[in-house]
Amino acid sequence: MANVIVPIGPHHPALKEPVNFRIVADGERIVRLELDLSYNHRGIEKAAEQRDFIRVLPLLERVCGICSHSHSTVFVKGIEEIMELEIPPRARFIRTIIAELERMHSHLLWLGVAAHEVGFNTLFMWTWRDREAVQDTLEEMSGNRVHYGMNEVGGIRRDLTPSEVNAALARLPHLEERIREYAKMVNDQETLLIRFKGVGKLSRDEALAYGAVGPTARASGVDYDIRRDDPYLAYTVVPWNVVTDTSGDVYGRTRVRIGELQESIKIVRHCLENLPEGPIRVNAPKTAPKGEILSRYEAPRGELAHFIRTNGTDKVERVDIRTPTLANWTSVALCLVNQNLADIPVIVAAIDPCLSCTSRITVVNPKDRTTGIVTFDELRKQSHLRASMQERR
Amino acid sequence: MKPLLTLDFVAETMKEWGTAEQVRHNRIRITATPETVRTAIINARELLECDRLITISAVDNGKTLELVYHLTGPHRSVISIAIELPRDKPEVPTMSDILPPAGIYERQIHDLLGIVFPGHPDLKRIMLNEDWPLEEYPLRKDWKKDPGTFYGGIPGERI
Repeated sequence: MANVIVPIGPHHPALKEPVNFRIVADGERIVRLELDLSYNHRGIEKAAEQRDFIRVLPLLERVCGICSHSHSTVFVKGIEEIMELEIPPRARFIRTIIAELERMHSHLLWLGVAAHEVGFNTLFMWTWRDREAVQDTLEEMSGNRVHYGMNEVGGIRRDLTPSEVNAALARLPHLEERIREYAKMVNDQETLLIRFKGVGKLSRDEALAYGAVGPTARASGVDYDIRRDDPYLAYTVVPWNVVTDTSGDVYGRTRVRIGELQESIKIVRHCLENLPEGPIRVNAPKTAPKGEILSRYEAPRGELAHFIRTNGTDKVERVDIRTPTLANWTSVALCLVNQNLADIPVIVAAIDPCLSCTSRITVVNPKDRTTGIVTFDELRKQSHLRASMQERR
Repeated sequence: MKPLLTLDFVAETMKEWGTAEQVRHNRIRITATPETVRTAIINARELLECDRLITISAVDNGKTLELVYHLTGPHRSVISIAIELPRDKPEVPTMSDILPPAGIYERQIHDLLGIVFPGHPDLKRIMLNEDWPLEEYPLRKDWKKDPGTFYGGIPGERI
């Protein structure tokens, strides 16, 4: 039979994000994938060149709605290295706590999406319910469910109170139990095994050659993890392990992510229990000296790299962002070949693609079912209110 | 994990294709030229075990366009090979045949900075929207929005 082109998108088949696939198919079998992300370009790299180090952070956090802390941490880490600033241990630990909580919420979200893609909606509901415990912790610590706004050059912006630490610690045992349950489910639930095993296979050599990163690579037995290979934050002093798997399919990627959830709980618990005393920030100079750095970070989806060049002013000359999803597309195109058309959603979802979405704040009034938009002044009032409440606590 | 590469070893191995310097404890930067970069990367892959391309960073420094190829391997050292390209004819051979991940990064750089990679199998648009005008590269320092040009979206609305 002649090859047929099946266009999918501009909303991609797994998550509600903009990407356009042209799948060349022979019957139900995929021959080739052609990819086009050109649906919306937000120009963040260009906009970042025009803002000083204080104003650029909220912008960079909004590169991604899920790994927002990753983008701000990798950036401040790079700038601090150029400025030769040593940040206080307490700030390093709190950054690590937020980073690992972010990984947990991202992986739980992913697990739900993967379950949803194969029609197992019970698991989807369960994981998203359990994810709320992580979200609540993040909200208590930072004031926000996403876009935590914790980082600044020289340290962090909010300290953790003992009550926040205790509340976070109290949530961990239940989460740990739920994640153990998911680890069991992945190995013995028929629905998951049929749809995950042997699907979207990527061998170790292919993962290396095609530059897969993060859980996608580790599921194929490539043990690259920036947290260990190019250590930053508190990962050198906290005991933890790199999780790998050898099966190289969607099943392996699920097992790696569940293993990482368990490791993240260990890291968060260790950091909360051993939180060093002391200041949370040092005074950073306004300007950075001339320099360039490739700052690397293990985001939930894999290696995130910011190439930063400074020119002696309070703005960056260039920040070049390479997100883990961009690195993973090449390997997705490879592992789709010879697979079934119906498996596209789950294979694509298995790299946990994140195409950075934007959204506006809409307020829904449940009484009369009207919707509206919050003005900037109202938002400011709300945040002042919140800050004064926190001070009183 | 293997031990980190030393500057002496890298400088000696790569001296034909560029000069090496240690920028940070596990970062070595090699300054090459557009003519030598392809051989440099092939040799970094074979002699320095750099089997992994982290990314290709592109910078417009106002005078020239710079490309930096960041490679790593089982030794976990990052070898950055940097080149400069003239603005009027920014061309460098593609690396996508020797390092497959380079393909998607080169497409992105071509889209945003207008660098041409001869030999690339499919140098199509990837980042910018489909109605973005040709020959306009928004990440170049001298790029300015032209009020008379249509940049996509709904005609008549501001972008």
